[in-house]
Amino acid sequence: MRIFLIHIYLFVFVFQSYAQISDFQQISFEKADEIVLKYKDETLHNLPDLVYKLTSELDTDAERFRAIFKWVCSSIANDYKLYNRNKRKRLRYKNDSVRLNEWNTKFQKIVFRKLLKDRTTICTGYAYLVKELANLADIECEMVHGYARTSTMNIETLDTPNHSWNAVKLNGKWYLCDPTWASGIPNPETYRFQFDFNSGFFLSDPKIFAVNHHPLDKKWFLLEGATPSFQAFLDAPIIYGKAYTYFSDHSYPQKLNNEVQKNKSFNFKLQLQKEIEKEDVNLVIESSFRERKIYPDQISIQDQSLSIDYKFEFSGYYDVHLYIKDDLISTYTIEVTR
Amino acid sequence: MKTQVTFTQKLWYVTILMVAVFAFNPMYGQSTSSSQKGKIIKGTVSDLKGPLEGANIILKGENQGTVTNAKGEFKFPVALETGDVLVISFLGYESIEYRIKTDTTFVKAVLSDEVIEFMGAVNTNKRYKSKKRKN
Repeated sequence: MRIFLIHIYLFVFVFQSYAQISDFQQISFEKADEIVLKYKDETLHNLPDLVYKLTSELDTDAERFRAIFKWVCSSIANDYKLYNRNKRKRLRYKNDSVRLNEWNTKFQKIVFRKLLKDRTTICTGYAYLVKELANLADIECEMVHGYARTSTMNIETLDTPNHSWNAVKLNGKWYLCDPTWASGIPNPETYRFQFDFNSGFFLSDPKIFAVNHHPLDKKWFLLEGATPSFQAFLDAPIIYGKAYTYFSDHSYPQKLNNEVQKNKSFNFKLQLQKEIEKEDVNLVIESSFRERKIYPDQISIQDQSLSIDYKFEFSGYYDVHLYIKDDLISTYTIEVTR
Repeated sequence: MKTQVTFTQKLWYVTILMVAVFAFNPMYGQSTSSSQKGKIIKGTVSDLKGPLEGANIILKGENQGTVTNAKGEFKFPVALETGDVLVISFLGYESIEYRIKTDTTFVKAVLSDEVIEFMGAVNTNKRYKSKKRKN
């Protein structure tokens, strides 16, 4: 009987849990992060030595991988110029596989030279480096290629893969992370790359990851059961980097563009991964004429699930942005009909 | 007749025993090190176009290693034994593992380019603006 109960317990609580950061709640990454800081200015000229410096004092694979991941994210800058150059060429040779291959070979040389010399790169370079360093530390790690969506991307032209990230195996389980997006974002004024480590992209929950990452190979969704279709991915709401630090899933609405009748309630639902205060939840509603910040009164937080109900009083077309304090989480468009 | 073992005799036995232990100990040590025939390994690392400068060679699982010179040559800094594995790597190339055999004295490694299609999407905190609303 006891064995039977243990099996039931295992089945319910262990096998159904998705691989994510909360699996490592008992581990503090402080020590790993300190080591990263200590070796911040190391170069890439001797990778095995770098790996030794980063990992030899750490006890678990999770900590070792943390040190590698955070080192890459805080030492390698994102080269936007290089990114744009590649984007232009890839677009130009989209239908010419010979020229595209030629460009890829040439570009690969440029990327590796830049990585070694200037410690700058673009996504695939981040993912490549994380994989190489992890492998040198005897940690199984793969590059994942596919599509990613951000607020500034024109999804109508999103027809070729545009992003790379990683899957890593820790304690026999695969996890997802995105070193490029964890490293930083453009400075809002200068548009130049700025380091700003976002730990939400380290061992992210596969459910929220699938909202704006769509791997070419379905197995890298790491989701059980059905995986989102490409159309569902294109239709999904916009989520921002901060969404990954507060939430583990975005449940509702499932589309960016929505419609609702006026004075009927519209529901937003997201799954929390850490505690928040109801008072911190706010919506910024933008119409053609003005922008309003409102603190909805119908908010519930139950079983790690945040639910917001809001009634639009006037018909019109709105861009609605969800914030927790000043952190931008997600955007939807809502057409309010009479 | 019962032999009487005096204290002086006891002392002698102990002394002889200790001398014996100390005398044979170094010999014992020598015999072990000579049974593990360590050897200094040299080698070259190149790609299809020629020698690679700055390639990393490490002993798998240890922090022992070296880097190739401008001619792509290296001399491994510690003596290696049969069965040791060298990991030869260079940024942008596929790493290879080389197992030291009984007759290995020279390692000639040819690395091949890692075939990667580079791409990148930049994340941003810039708030989404729908096109419809602007009109």
